[in-house]
Amino acid sequence: MIEIEHLSKRFGESIVVDDVSFTVGEGEIAVVVGTSGAGKSTLLRMINRLVVPDAGRVLIDGQDTATIPEDELRHRIGYVIQGYGLFPHRTVAENIATVPRLLGWDRRRIAARVEELLDLFQLDPGEFAQKFPHQLSGGQQQRVGVARALAAKPALLLMDEPFGALDPVIRGKAQDDLLAIQRRLGTTIVLVTHDMNEAFHLGSRIAVMDQARLVQYAKPADLLTHPAEAFVEQLVGTAERPFRLLSLASVQDAMEPGSAEGDPITVSATLREALAQLIWRGRSALPVADAAGAPIGRISVDGILKHGRSLA
Amino acid sequence: MNTISSRTTAPGMHTLRPHLHLDRLGSVIAGLMGLALFASPFVTYRANRIVSGEGRMLFDALPPAGALITIAVVLGVALCAVLAHRPLVRLAAASLGLCVIFPAVGFSAGFVTPAGNGFARVSPAIGFWLLALAFALLAADALTRLRLGPWGRLVALSIAAGALTLLLLSGAWGDLSLMKEYANRADSFWREARQHLWLAFGSMLAACLVGLPLGLASHRVPALRAALLQGLSIVQTIPSIALFGILIAPLGFLAANVPLAAALGIRGIGAAPAFIALFLYSLLPVVANTMAGLCQVPADVIEAARGMGMSRRQRLVQIELPLALPVILAGIRIVLVQNLGLATIAALIGGGGFGTFVFQGIGQTAIDLVLLGAIPTVALSFAAAIILDAVIDLTRRGAHDRD
Ligand SMILES: Nc1ncnc2c1ncn2[C@@H]1O[C@H](COP(=O)(O)OP(=O)(O)OP(=O)(O)O)[C@@H](O)[C@H]1O
Ligand SMILES: [Mg+2]
Repeated sequence: MIEIEHLSKRFGESIVVDDVSFTVGEGEIAVVVGTSGAGKSTLLRMINRLVVPDAGRVLIDGQDTATIPEDELRHRIGYVIQGYGLFPHRTVAENIATVPRLLGWDRRRIAARVEELLDLFQLDPGEFAQKFPHQLSGGQQQRVGVARALAAKPALLLMDEPFGALDPVIRGKAQDDLLAIQRRLGTTIVLVTHDMNEAFHLGSRIAVMDQARLVQYAKPADLLTHPAEAFVEQLVGTAERPFRLLSLASVQDAMEPGSAEGDPITVSATLREALAQLIWRGRSALPVADAAGAPIGRISVDGILKHGRSLA
Repeated sequence: MNTISSRTTAPGMHTLRPHLHLDRLGSVIAGLMGLALFASPFVTYRANRIVSGEGRMLFDALPPAGALITIAVVLGVALCAVLAHRPLVRLAAASLGLCVIFPAVGFSAGFVTPAGNGFARVSPAIGFWLLALAFALLAADALTRLRLGPWGRLVALSIAAGALTLLLLSGAWGDLSLMKEYANRADSFWREARQHLWLAFGSMLAACLVGLPLGLASHRVPALRAALLQGLSIVQTIPSIALFGILIAPLGFLAANVPLAAALGIRGIGAAPAFIALFLYSLLPVVANTMAGLCQVPADVIEAARGMGMSRRQRLVQIELPLALPVILAGIRIVLVQNLGLATIAALIGGGGFGTFVFQGIGQTAIDLVLLGAIPTVALSFAAAIILDAVIDLTRRGAHDRD
């Protein structure tokens, strides 16, 4: 768990982060969004003390980060930036091994860890371990960047626009992969992004920043239904709001008993996906199947709309 | 234009004549060889070392059989230069040419010198030099087309150096004027060689010891940057002779008033001002390239290194220096090549080095003595450039242009 308490930072005349406080629970993903120059990166960099706060403190599992030597603190926190900052003169394996080597792990343990991570990120160790960063595609570089950040099993991962340089298709896949890996490892993540879809897709909670202030910190659904300020509403997009809400709920939430004609929809799909299927296939209802494919009920346009209104 | 293209594409022409691709550079080189063979003297004969000489054409410079073989080989190489495409074939031809004319010119010296005449001097003339130039151009062109990697270039250099050593040790050149000049002063030749190397490498080493930290400091402290670079650029603009002169006064003063300086051999003239001048000239490339090398390390790489908890020292040693190394080495290459040449001037103020022979030779109008100083200097610079270029390539680990 990390607790951010009254963090402030000014550069010269301008205040860049103004009295920001919030808490990220164990294994949660907190996504920080906001306009350019709002202070998101600065906030993130105060967590690993790349920027030293003027006021306030950060506690990781109750321990004040100011009491931990800087380098030691950073060994314990993964850090991924937009350009990844891979070391061009080191191979993929050497890049991933950076922090374990700084920590003095023995060679066999490092090699095993590198292999494990390459497998986890679907990079064949035989093919990729000895390549140099410039020989990789953008998506592969991104995966190496995240693998490197996770190498020493940090409990906390900081990510500053980690998918910003990827094309939309690769980006979607990278987000899904990150979610899967995060669920598996239980890593706590603080992630900065400009992309609201990304924020709603990944975030357990979303922090909205505007001009150095934290405007709202809430669960995605609350952000939609109870925006704290006009700025939040504007950022989320009023036209998008119902669809974002539907994408946060699953078919389970609006399932009705009974049956319907057609190919079934799985119960774990989002209501937004279900609605899209219904419209596209020109039906008013479709059957719902469980993970094994057995029919367990039906989902209808009316049911989804009713559920949507109840959320709003 | 139109007529030409329609003529070359006329269908009949191809079937009538086999299509020959003439190599353009090769044709120029072949022309050079023809000029050397048939219009220029191969060696110069002089009755003694300072009178002006008379040229001997290849036919008069070698016994008939030797001359015929040489001419046949040169013509063969010329044909290869014009017609052969494979770089390896061209390289082999050029090497064969060099392997024939170098011993030939030595042999010619023995042939032309009257028996028992100890004063007569024979030296290579314009024809020989043109042939050597033509073969060297052909070889260099072939080597470029071969796109040798760094190791390949080092091997090629070693082979060339080995062949040259063999030639000199074999005594095949013993009758040439150049080698007679050498034989008369073999001791001082090696003494001046040591002095030359000491001046060039010593001042380079000193410049690295001072320049690397200076470059690092001015990379970290931007305020230092402008002042330092400007100061060093001013030094760079002072002509070398003037700089030697400027140093004579303060060093002379130092020697006269500080006993320790005098005991260390520091005087107003001699090696000390030469060493210091070379050192000062070397500082700018070392400092500027160290700075440039460190500046071009991508910002996100440094950010990532910091974010992963590398200490300042680890960042410098593991990230910044390795990534800056090729640029720093490029600076050192400039310094070394420059110093090997400039060290020649040191002789003017009694600093020794190969320049000693050059200036003695100029004074005595003995061109072979000048060459005795000049040729090793050029050869050393050339070798240093090739070696350092190869080392620079080897340090570009993971760079974009390497696969
Ligand atoms: N080291 C620094 N020195 C001076 N000003 C800085 C420094 N770092 C950031 N700033 C300023 O602080 C403000 C906030 O910067 P920050 O990088 O935190 O914004 P951001 O929200 O991450 O923006 P973006 O979305 O464009 O990345 C900007 O106006 C920036 O110019
Ligand atoms: Mg930012």
